[in-house]
Amino acid sequence: MQTSHVQRSPGRMRHGRLASVLLAPSLFGLAAFLVFPILVVLWLSLNRWDLLTPMRFVGLDNYFDVLSDPTFGNSMLRTVIFVVLVIPLQVALGLFMAVLLTRGLPGSGLFRVIYVIPWICAPLALGVVWKWILAPYDGALNNLLGVSVEWLSNPALAMPAVAGVTIWSQVGYTTLFFIAGLAAIPDQVIEAAQLDGADGWKIFWQIKLPLLGPTLFFVLVTGVISAFQAFDQIYALTPNGGPQGTTDVIASRIYLEAFQGGFNLGRALVMALVSFVILVIITLVQQRFFSERITYDLS
Amino acid sequence: MTSADRTEVPGRTDQAAPASEVDRADGAAALSERPGTRAHNPAQRPAADRVAPDQHAAPEESTGVRSSRRKRRNPLADALTYAVLLVAALLTLGPFALSFMTAFKSPGQFASEPALTPPNPVTTENFTRLFGGDYSFISPIAVTAQVVALILVGQLAFSIMAAYAFAKLRFAYRDTLFWVYLATLMIPQVVIVIPLYAMMVQSGMRNTFWALVLPFMFGSPYAVFLLREHFRGIPDDLIDAARIDGAGDWRILWQIVVPLSRGIIATLAIITVVSHWNNFMWPLIITTGRDWQVITVATANLQSQYNANWTLVMAATTVAMAPLLILFGLFQRTIVNSISLTGFK
Repeated sequence: MQTSHVQRSPGRMRHGRLASVLLAPSLFGLAAFLVFPILVVLWLSLNRWDLLTPMRFVGLDNYFDVLSDPTFGNSMLRTVIFVVLVIPLQVALGLFMAVLLTRGLPGSGLFRVIYVIPWICAPLALGVVWKWILAPYDGALNNLLGVSVEWLSNPALAMPAVAGVTIWSQVGYTTLFFIAGLAAIPDQVIEAAQLDGADGWKIFWQIKLPLLGPTLFFVLVTGVISAFQAFDQIYALTPNGGPQGTTDVIASRIYLEAFQGGFNLGRALVMALVSFVILVIITLVQQRFFSERITYDLS
Repeated sequence: MTSADRTEVPGRTDQAAPASEVDRADGAAALSERPGTRAHNPAQRPAADRVAPDQHAAPEESTGVRSSRRKRRNPLADALTYAVLLVAALLTLGPFALSFMTAFKSPGQFASEPALTPPNPVTTENFTRLFGGDYSFISPIAVTAQVVALILVGQLAFSIMAAYAFAKLRFAYRDTLFWVYLATLMIPQVVIVIPLYAMMVQSGMRNTFWALVLPFMFGSPYAVFLLREHFRGIPDDLIDAARIDGAGDWRILWQIVVPLSRGIIATLAIITVVSHWNNFMWPLIITTGRDWQVITVATANLQSQYNANWTLVMAATTVAMAPLLILFGLFQRTIVNSISLTGFK
């Protein structure tokens, strides 16, 4: 692949003009809508601004304000509860379904497609559908069970309900990654274990699961990152932070803080920055945790 | 960062597989394809093979045959597996079936009969109300379709251009610049929306069509990353041969590189359509009133305004989901495979 470079002129700038033409649009988009906003974030977080009156520089006031604010503490707690409810179940169910789907039964392909369907739909629309299903008087679930439970307005039930809907829509997606991971395990590894007398249970826990390390890592990292930012379905199911703020996760808090009521952009930005830092830390910690355990070499 | 990690396993498996296992390993790679695998595999195979239409063919059938030959089947375990699979399928499809049924019920029947009874008679009055008169759901569909179309064309064209530069051209600061592209993948949407909102307000673009389109139409770092990996797998000899034949870089890009990458481009097109049809937070923030309402925002507003009017609301969710469900029905194989191929955000 590299041999053909010999006939070209060796200068680093050989394609400079063409490259700048090709890169110009995406570079503009990147600078204007990703890099510049990040700089704006840092600047705005040092100011008090409601978009109407002039901006006022307040230094680190927003940071002290937010970090000592009980509503922010509540949102962090709710976000953690949401992630802890959603991720283990979503990953475990995804792995379980993947194991069932890779048993080589006829029709597995069809089931695999069915499970992905919720994932293709707008989380907002699914949230609205479930809002009806979970409605206390004319909702389908209570109708089916013959009860009248206030799934979404009871503070004890709202968070589990929101987490349940999220898991429902995500399991099929997670399953796909585990199917791919399981398919990548070479047959001869399994056959060798079978020759050594390992049963299916042992093969799963001691061979397949460790070899799924990288898949598990990917699913956990992306899962935690997206659960941490979950907004659409929570907004649809329990607007304004839910009963007594029980589903006031961080994305919902940021939205309410910035665009409903107060229009307090500085505070909302500090919250966004804090969650950004937390997300980076989670990624790094998960990476360290897994890099010690992953065995890449299958040969 | 995470994508780079994922490349490890399939890549290694592929190389470790002995000759007799090549078919299977290939199939596994097609399903679990990672950007890294893509970069190495195609270069080793003839071009015709690489663009074969069955590129995304799901391997589970062949894997299935293989494992059933290998294992003795346990009928009890099989029956239990089917039972679990069926229950899961029912739980997955149930909410859809219920909402579609409700959408085709008259409000009268909905109020007087249990939720599980099928519509009798089947009526389209909810849809008639939705599209006519007060709610006028035609405009949100038209706005969403235009937004998605513009973002799709812009994102594909500009990402392809950038990816070609990163993959096949040499210029100053190339690697630094690419690193910047990758770094922006880490930025979560929730951090970016507020400063973007402030920028749109300052530039007078709040509540305009362009506010919905501009932030997304100049290409996405993620698409650039995936395409670059793919383009790198296209042999330089092919490009040099075209150059000797007198083709310029633009012709090489659009007439050789792009046609050779149909699979990955189709995947990216699907990703773009799905994620922007479903996008909610940004349109919710940046638009007010009816003029530039997209379909998700219109659905959310309808639900909060006509809370008890569930037959109408379910007609709205049906309309919001139907286009993607149809798309999914048509391209389900490509879509399912592209999810595990790309991580599909």
